Amino acid sequence: MTITLHDFELSGNCYKLRLLMSILKLRYDIVPVDFYPGRQHKSDAFLRLNPFGQLPVLQDDELTLSDSGAILAYLATRYDPTGLWFPTDPAILAQVLRWHAVADDITATSSAARLALGFFYDVDLPKAQAGAHAIFRLMDEHLWFGEREGRDWLCTPAHPTTADIACFPYVMLSEEGGIGRQDYPALRRWTDRVRRVPGFVVMSGIFPAGKALQQA
Amino acid sequence: MTLSLTDPAWYPIASSDDLPFRHVYQGQLLGRELAVWRADDGNVNVWENRCLHRGVRLSIGVNEGAELKCQYHGWRYANRSAGCTYIPAHPADAPARRIENRTYPAHEAFGLVWSAATSDRAFAPFPGAETADDWFALRPMPVNAAPEAVIAALGRLAPDDQPAQILPGLAIRLGTTLYFVQPVDAGRAVIRGLLPGQPDDASLALRHHNEALTKLRDRLERAAVRQPAPAPLQPAFDKVSAELSTMPDIAIPRGTTMPVVVKRKWTSADGVVGFELADRDGRHLPTFQPGAHIDVHLPNGLIRQYSITNGPGDLLSYVIAVKQESASKGGSQILVDTVREGDVLAISEPRNNFPLRRDAIRTVLIAGGIGITPLLSMARFLDKSDLNYELHYFTRAGEQVAFRSELEALHGKVVLHTGLPRSEIGSTIATALGPWSFAQHVYVCGPSAMLESVRATAAAQNWPDASIHFEYFKNDKPIDDTSSFDVELARSAMTLHVPAGKTILEVMREAGLTVPSSCEQGACGTCLTGVLEGECDHQDVYLNDSEKRANTAMMTCVSRAKSARLVLDI
Repeated sequence: MTITLHDFELSGNCYKLRLLMSILKLRYDIVPVDFYPGRQHKSDAFLRLNPFGQLPVLQDDELTLSDSGAILAYLATRYDPTGLWFPTDPAILAQVLRWHAVADDITATSSAARLALGFFYDVDLPKAQAGAHAIFRLMDEHLWFGEREGRDWLCTPAHPTTADIACFPYVMLSEEGGIGRQDYPALRRWTDRVRRVPGFVVMSGIFPAGKALQQA
Repeated sequence: MTLSLTDPAWYPIASSDDLPFRHVYQGQLLGRELAVWRADDGNVNVWENRCLHRGVRLSIGVNEGAELKCQYHGWRYANRSAGCTYIPAHPADAPARRIENRTYPAHEAFGLVWSAATSDRAFAPFPGAETADDWFALRPMPVNAAPEAVIAALGRLAPDDQPAQILPGLAIRLGTTLYFVQPVDAGRAVIRGLLPGQPDDASLALRHHNEALTKLRDRLERAAVRQPAPAPLQPAFDKVSAELSTMPDIAIPRGTTMPVVVKRKWTSADGVVGFELADRDGRHLPTFQPGAHIDVHLPNGLIRQYSITNGPGDLLSYVIAVKQESASKGGSQILVDTVREGDVLAISEPRNNFPLRRDAIRTVLIAGGIGITPLLSMARFLDKSDLNYELHYFTRAGEQVAFRSELEALHGKVVLHTGLPRSEIGSTIATALGPWSFAQHVYVCGPSAMLESVRATAAAQNWPDASIHFEYFKNDKPIDDTSSFDVELARSAMTLHVPAGKTILEVMREAGLTVPSSCEQGACGTCLTGVLEGECDHQDVYLNDSEKRANTAMMTCVSRAKSARLVLDI
């Protein structure tokens, strides 16, 4: 197998794939795409790879895939021998896909606000920020009651899934879009847990958390 | 009522559950952002949410269990004192030991963490707190509305026949439920609820109250957006005073001492007695760095230096160890013989001549006998930060291993070398060190012979001088006292001649001056004196190279003058 990631270092969606491939200890090549300011993702060559003109794109031998959520599902199904990251149990699968959809909503709000402030995109900033706060409120409540019920992650299994990876980056990068996380303590604790998953890698703006509780 | 920036009232700022292991909670009170973290010893720290270096939020810092480390620049601050223990750009004894982050008062009670904008008022529980010994905290509900509007809306939740009871400090009692409104800012608040005792169905109670508070929040926020937003509170943050943030002047007379009580005295190993020294009122002691020592003023007037063995952020007492030596000059022996538990001793603030770098890839600690004391502290710091280190501890016999249980609690590589024949010590050190490579450092403390052996072995294995660290408690260098010169004592208005063969100290004493001294071999720093004019001939091992080059202070017990005249600030 030869995996190639068409990647932009500062993209949270590309980081989702780098994170899962690091956790799964996969080797891959990177083709840097100058998303900003070069707009290479709208170039003819890139559109031939992905007509949607969006990062990331992942090539695995002859296969060319796009959409970060879809690629997360592909990588976990194909390369995670434990089957934990993308569980096949129908009820859990539905939960994971539900949170993949939330991840897209986070991209449409928190990431859009970040693009407006950091990349000079023409975005309705107050609307994007308000939208992100609305999602974070729901996530904080979900995670707060989850902690009381013994659930540390977004979905019910006792381990993280691709849902956690899909939602994680643009929650962590929300401050770059002017969206504070002070009002979401349970959400902040969940980001600590994600940052302690073995194999965690950093990107600009996403850093490790303090050491986890030691199992003496 | 309007919110006041100087409101001394205590408000809840977090739930106890918000501070799980090694987390840093982000809070806010009256416009001041807070970094709240629980250390491994259970202590809750409420600090201003800014690293003093570049203002990066400490709520994104790393909670290492006893120190909070700034994620971006690596500055570290200690549990309890908020004193800076490490500045990466100054691996040596930097201003660090006196810089303190701004802190706010903290108190944990009833399942909540409380704080206040000022320390003017002591924490007092709410009326009725004593009626239940067990309180159940509800899910906090942040609301984007003015705190005054939130408390008023909570009051309107009460049924007509059971009016709400307004309590001081933005609190209200509805039936048996208590609500506290945390004034986050002029337009933001958090509702925190407490139920007396444990509900029969905790989950049901939490969901029920969460739903009710969500509805209240939505109503309040709909009303708030129809009104002009209040201006956010603008707390002013004073700069850290120059006195705290600059390198302390080494020429300051070192007479300042503080009293400590001997909390515990015990035999740590054969011939080694441990002393635990604590503040008399139970407050924390000053921040120290790994490798630091204190001067202990002994009952017979002598002053002796002892390394602090504590780990990071462990400031409720200092633990030192004293070796019982048959050949003691009366220093250590008097501590062992006459000082008892409960006695009060005077000690100096911690001073560090033996700073530990925390940017090493590999750190080797080598201790001989009582030399374990500074290295135990270093090992504990490295251990808490999960840094790679090895500790080699040489003793003559097993019963001479001091701090055995403390060493066993470490997670790094700790090797006890007991009763090795003299011929094998050298090769053991050589193996422990290995060949040098980039960012490896060795720290050694022990008898002079051992110090020399480590230095020679390391040099032979290509370790550069900058990577070999040791501390002298003894000056073994030959003293050259052949010079003769004049000293002017600026404050005493006296000019004395120092002939060859006599020290400045002796000449001053002969002239009737009372001057403090301790080791009289240039190792302890007791006779440190400011220099106003003239060029010093430093022969001590107390000042470091840059302090010597500065030519602003000297040890009158061994150092002399290169110039014909020396003007001292005495």
